[in-house]
Amino acid sequence: MTTHAQALGALSRPFCFTGAMTDDSKALAQGLRRRDPDVLDELITQYQTRLYRYLLFLTSDRALAEDLFQETWIRVLERGHQYDGKSKFDSWLFAIARHLVIDVSRRKKFSSIEDFANAETGQPYEPPDDRAASALEILVTRENEQAVQISLLKIAPYYREVLLLRFQEELGLEEIAGILSAPISTVKSRLYRGLTALKAVLPGGAA
Amino acid sequence: MSENIHARAQGLLAESLVEGIPADSQNWLEQHLQDCEECARLAETTRGLLRALRGVAVAVPVDLAARTQLRVRLRAQETAPGSRSGLVLWLLTGMSWLLGIFSAPLIWRGFGWIGAEFGVPKLALEFGFVLWWAVPALLAVGVVLHQRGTAMPGRTQL
Repeated sequence: MTTHAQALGALSRPFCFTGAMTDDSKALAQGLRRRDPDVLDELITQYQTRLYRYLLFLTSDRALAEDLFQETWIRVLERGHQYDGKSKFDSWLFAIARHLVIDVSRRKKFSSIEDFANAETGQPYEPPDDRAASALEILVTRENEQAVQISLLKIAPYYREVLLLRFQEELGLEEIAGILSAPISTVKSRLYRGLTALKAVLPGGAA
Repeated sequence: MSENIHARAQGLLAESLVEGIPADSQNWLEQHLQDCEECARLAETTRGLLRALRGVAVAVPVDLAARTQLRVRLRAQETAPGSRSGLVLWLLTGMSWLLGIFSAPLIWRGFGWIGAEFGVPKLALEFGFVLWWAVPALLAVGVVLHQRGTAMPGRTQL
C-alpha cells in the first residue's frame, strides 16, 4: 500500500490516538508533510462541523468563522510539516484555529481573546453569581439545546472555549491546556467557573 | 455537618465532570445521591445540561468544505516547491538578466549611432534606451499576473 493510500485509509477510520505515534497518525503526518491535497480534502470533510462550530462559538460571527475556517486549512497546508503525529491531530488543528482568532482580535487592537468579547458589550466581563437551580431544572429536563446554544454565546469566550473543548469535543485537560498554551490549573478553573456561568445565563437562570 | 456533606457532594460532582474523581470518591458520591434527593436532583440537572451542551448542533454552510478544498488545492499548486512552471520562469528570468547585462554596451552604441545619423536629442535616446529594457519586462510581469489571475478563480470568494 502506498503512503498516499495509507493516509487516506487512516482517514476513513476513526482516529485513536494514545500519545504514541500510531500507524494512522504517522500516515497522516506523512500526508501533511507531502502536502497531499487528497489527504487535506478528507481532513476538511471530516473536521468541517467540529472546526466550524468551534470558530463560530469563539467569534460569534458566521462570516468571520467561515473566513477563519478557510485560513485554518491554508495554515494546515503550509505548516503540515510541523505536525509530528505524536499528538492528536484535532488538538493541533484547534490550536491553529485559536491562534488565527487571536490574530484577528489583535488586528482589532485587542490584546487577548478575552477582550474580543468584552468589546461587544463594552463592559468588562464579570462572572455571574451562581443562581437557583429551579428554572434550570425545567430547562434541562426539556433538554433545550437551542437555549444552551444561545446561552453559550452570552458567557465569556474563555469560559465558552473550554466548555466546548471539554464537553463537545471531549478533549482531555492536557490537550486543552496544550491548545490554550495555559497551565492545566487554569483550564480546570475556567471549566468550573464556566459551568457556573453557563447555568447562570440560561433562560430563567436569574429566577 | 450536614451542610458539609452536601457541599462535598456538589464539589465531587463538579470535579467528576471536569477532571474525574477516584473510584472511592465516586462510590461515596453515588451512595450520597441515592440517599439525598436534593443532591440527586442537582446532579441530574447538571448532567442534563452537559447532555444538552453535547447536543448543540451548528449548521455548516453547504459549500464551505468545497470552497475550502478548492482554495487549499490552488494554494498547494501555487506554492508547490520546485514546480515546473516556476523553474522555467526563473531560468528565463536569469537568462534575460545575463543577456541584458552583456548586450547593454552594444545596444547603447547602436542607439548612439542612430542619434548621430538622425540627429536625435540625447534625452530622447536615453528614454528610448530605458524603454528598450523596461517594455519586455513589464510585458512579462503582465503575462505572469494574468496567468495567476485566471488560475485562481476562488480567490475572490474570501
